[in-house]
Amino acid sequence: MEPDEIKSLEQVRLVPKVEKSMLRPIQSKDPFPYGDALCVPLDEVTEFHQTSGTTGQPVYQPDTWQDWEWFSECWATLLWAQGYRPHDRVFLPFGYNVFVAFWTGHYASEKIGCETVPGGVLDTQARILKMQELRATAMMATPTYVLGMADAAQRKLGIDPAKDLFVRRITCAGEPGALIPSTKERMEKLWGAKVFDHAGATEIGAWGFECEAQPGGMHVNEAMFLAEVEDPETGDLITEPNKSGKLVISALDRLAQPCIRFDSKDIVQMSPDQCPCGRTYKVFKGGVIGRADDITKVKGVLLAPSAIEDVVRSFPGLSHEYEVVVEKRGDMDHITLKVELAEGSGQDASSITEKLKTELRFKTNLGYEIQTHPYGSLPRYEVKAKRFKDLRKRGDA
Amino acid sequence: MTRQPALTEIAAQVDQLHRIAQELYDRSEDFPALNRNLKRILASIHMLRINLEEDAD
Repeated sequence: MEPDEIKSLEQVRLVPKVEKSMLRPIQSKDPFPYGDALCVPLDEVTEFHQTSGTTGQPVYQPDTWQDWEWFSECWATLLWAQGYRPHDRVFLPFGYNVFVAFWTGHYASEKIGCETVPGGVLDTQARILKMQELRATAMMATPTYVLGMADAAQRKLGIDPAKDLFVRRITCAGEPGALIPSTKERMEKLWGAKVFDHAGATEIGAWGFECEAQPGGMHVNEAMFLAEVEDPETGDLITEPNKSGKLVISALDRLAQPCIRFDSKDIVQMSPDQCPCGRTYKVFKGGVIGRADDITKVKGVLLAPSAIEDVVRSFPGLSHEYEVVVEKRGDMDHITLKVELAEGSGQDASSITEKLKTELRFKTNLGYEIQTHPYGSLPRYEVKAKRFKDLRKRGDA
Repeated sequence: MTRQPALTEIAAQVDQLHRIAQELYDRSEDFPALNRNLKRILASIHMLRINLEEDAD
């Protein structure tokens, strides 16, 4: 197939899809370290980043200066849509390193004129104190870290983020959560701030964002991306609203390592409604509602980890942390949900356990073994949390 | 001036800007400082084109 064979939007679907797993073997070839997926001379590359490695060996991401401008422009669009303005002082509490994470959020914040504070190598408490000292009005972090910071502020510093800090706008990325109703509610309450979701991928760019109108979903930036939603089973294009499908996305201006028709594995559903903000871009109801590789069959029932999170975080007597383990016991699938009682909640573990079981059964149609753990005993995460462990796939159950 | 003619006019000016920046870039091979800054200017001009497409939608 040659590029000039594509003459219409319909013909775009003839282009084979790209998957993350294809990029890793390509990058073991020459030119080092990108392989022949590199579409510009190596001298043109000005930025190196890589994926988080959540799903395996990280993929390297080369960018030219123009790509980097473009990536920042994607973020500038989303920050503006979320109400960031030049009077904001934006704090970035993330470890600036090879993982792309919030790098372009930093540059976009500068680009739209905000005062941008790099909270790089500081630890969590130092970050909180610096935010307080500078009266930061906005920040960007993963939902896990937003909750973790609030927890540390209250317990270790006696600071109530909603009252003692000045953050009124938070942009989340890297994990679902900001559009999971109970998680969003927790974050907004703890910080006294509006929390916005955003979606993207290192290989693609920042393709989606929740706007200030918070329509219960996320816009696709259709000026910079081509979004196709397809049936995960048949691959047929889905054009009607209210039907879940897999997002296949193309960045329209990425040069160094363009990803045409990237199989994002993100499950989305188009909204039938126009967003009150006035943007005419598509809205995905509930944002990214799951991952094609996360949604798994347990006891014959399709289970999305985000559904469990929504239930756990709707219990005020539980901390933010939880862990789900699916394993084989004999021939049967068995799900263990580990939760922590909130610090000083004074609640009886057995009554919470019973209520949790009932609610989970209602929301997910499955039975769970619930284990309650002391506060602070489950792992804490800063970037991408790994709370769902399917031991059946590794065969070590 | 209504929005659409204004956009068309701005787009023409951006094209002109691009032409000049490209010409300068092509002539800057022997001037490394000029060369690298012009490359950045060309990238920024490309963003202007994206902004205009976005607005035209």
